[in-house]
Amino acid sequence: MPRNTLNAARAGELKTKIAKSKEIFQQAYDRFPVKDMRLIWSGGKDSTLVLWICREFCQEKKLSLPMAFTIDEGDAFEEIDAILKKVGKEWGVALDWGRNDDVLRAAGHTLDAEVKVSDLNPRNQAEIKRIGFDLKAFPFEAESYVGNHLMKTVVFNTYLEDHGVKAVYQGLRWDEQKARAKDAYFDDVAASELTPGHTRFRPILHFTERDIWDTTLHFGIPYCPLYEKGYRSLGAKTTSLKTLDKPAWEQDLENTEERAGRRQDKEKTMERLRQLGYM
Amino acid sequence: MKHVVLFTIDALRRDVLGLYGGTSGRTPFFDSLASEGLVFDQAYSVAPYTQASFPGILTSSYLFDTLKAEKLSAKRTLISEALKSKGVTTAAFHSNAYLSGYFGWNRGWDAFYDSMEEDVDLLNPYIKGNVINRKVDQWLGTVDLGRSLFLWVHYMDVHEPYVPDRRFVERVDGSIRLSAQEMFGLFKSTILPRNAGDKATVALLRSLYEAHVCEADEYARELFGILDRHGVLRDATVIFTTDHGEEFGEHGGLSHDGKMYDELVHVPQIVVNPPEGKGGRCATLVSGLDIPPTVLHLFGLESEPNFQGHSFFPLNHYSAKGVYGEAVGKLAHKIKETDQPAYYYREGALKVIYRKEEDGWELYDLASDSEEKNNIMSTSPEAGRMKQKLEPRINRVYL
Repeated sequence: MPRNTLNAARAGELKTKIAKSKEIFQQAYDRFPVKDMRLIWSGGKDSTLVLWICREFCQEKKLSLPMAFTIDEGDAFEEIDAILKKVGKEWGVALDWGRNDDVLRAAGHTLDAEVKVSDLNPRNQAEIKRIGFDLKAFPFEAESYVGNHLMKTVVFNTYLEDHGVKAVYQGLRWDEQKARAKDAYFDDVAASELTPGHTRFRPILHFTERDIWDTTLHFGIPYCPLYEKGYRSLGAKTTSLKTLDKPAWEQDLENTEERAGRRQDKEKTMERLRQLGYM
Repeated sequence: MKHVVLFTIDALRRDVLGLYGGTSGRTPFFDSLASEGLVFDQAYSVAPYTQASFPGILTSSYLFDTLKAEKLSAKRTLISEALKSKGVTTAAFHSNAYLSGYFGWNRGWDAFYDSMEEDVDLLNPYIKGNVINRKVDQWLGTVDLGRSLFLWVHYMDVHEPYVPDRRFVERVDGSIRLSAQEMFGLFKSTILPRNAGDKATVALLRSLYEAHVCEADEYARELFGILDRHGVLRDATVIFTTDHGEEFGEHGGLSHDGKMYDELVHVPQIVVNPPEGKGGRCATLVSGLDIPPTVLHLFGLESEPNFQGHSFFPLNHYSAKGVYGEAVGKLAHKIKETDQPAYYYREGALKVIYRKEEDGWELYDLASDSEEKNNIMSTSPEAGRMKQKLEPRINRVYL
């Protein structure tokens, strides 16, 4: 694993950023018992850093580490699975896996298979109607419009409900995409038809993509080998692409799109159809 | 031909253009194309709305063979794919979400602009034709024009919600004094719920729509100017058409639902700088399905086995045949789970329509009943024969 050498000023900057993250954890622990918290851990660089900082914080304060939760969309990279298992074991992380088994079954566990809406259970059928999808079938792809909702959003909300989760930690960052620029460190999500009330904590909002890599490499934090091969952002296997054939941290992080390899056109397209009255 | 340009305007009714009998003076540029082009009087779209008609225009196939759930099937060949593999440079510029990369229409293009990354105005939720023109202009400045070029440009400007600028409204009816918000209100209160009952409101909507047609005419003139300035136009054949028309109460509805009447499927089509027939009119029945094979023919390329249509040219090789169409027979803006397919077939002056939901057959003689109001299914001696033509297409299932 490459270790980078940082000058003292830069190392100091990162330490300040880590200290800021620890303050967020402190505030979360002041508000919630650890049994009601979950750390959302995808195995990607951002949530792994959240976990690493959380672990440092807990060790310093003699607190227990929250359970972690990962969502299996049915289209995961093997390398991501491997890092979750390996690091989870090394760091003693209790990890829950959430998946929408009903959809996976209806799709015969096959990507691109056609899922007939009538083959799904009432909850999934109701969710599809709720988001305005009226056709009889859809292709099984985690990042399609319906797929994303069923395989991620529904799994997340059901898990919160089933386990009485009141607080979650997310690895979002302000510089990740324009839509994130206004996110806050704490977000109290009110209970609704769809989701039970809970609070979202975002301890690394102030880290840039460059900060993530400098911190990861400087402190020897484990990362998925796909980043070394040129991926900068990891989502579902079939919809994530390498941005270049060199390690993420050697790419022009400041002037190119981190999520260029991720398919982002879905939301915009659906929004446009809604504006025209079609959705 | 060295270059081919496909220029389509979403939801453009045939009868609003002066050259097809529309109010004189509103579409001077489109009308001027008639003198340099070959005007098709009997061009038909394979369907009455975008998702169902573009399978014809870009893949030479019908809806139910083309979309998998809502996405373009991997089994179909886009005209861009067929051309790119032969070394033609391909580029697309449009702003219709149903034709976006997300739905798979970006295959085979060297440049593909679908505008989905842009933020748009809620009252005109698409990128306007003049902005599309700028994208085309910029791109032409970067491309090697020594190579053959296939350019597809599609405008959304006449598509609802009909909120045209004042200066275009003035050209149609200066007495209309609605604010943009009021026009948008009509979209919500009248078009979306398909309230076609009040004749005066429907006439007002039609005027707003025609104001957008004046706008599109202006942008089209500018587009041809850009093509000319880059030296593309003199070496290009341009196919100008639409994906479907628009209804203003003719059959009880508004906008463009899954209905098979002429206000939706009988479309304008002009071929500018055609290999033959310049300045003339062509009365042969042709289909949107024929556009991809025609484009290949214009480049001197063999047709693609996956294409179901036939090149218009040479005109005397095009064998007279009927035209088919199919779509989900929706009667609202959104497609509902219970919506069933609808089909049509036209041959000569006769048009047969079948709607599966009602198991309903209609037959019209367009020679004596161009408005399709008098269903002669139970009385015409041709009914059985026309029904037989359509039946083989009916019992197919949605993918």
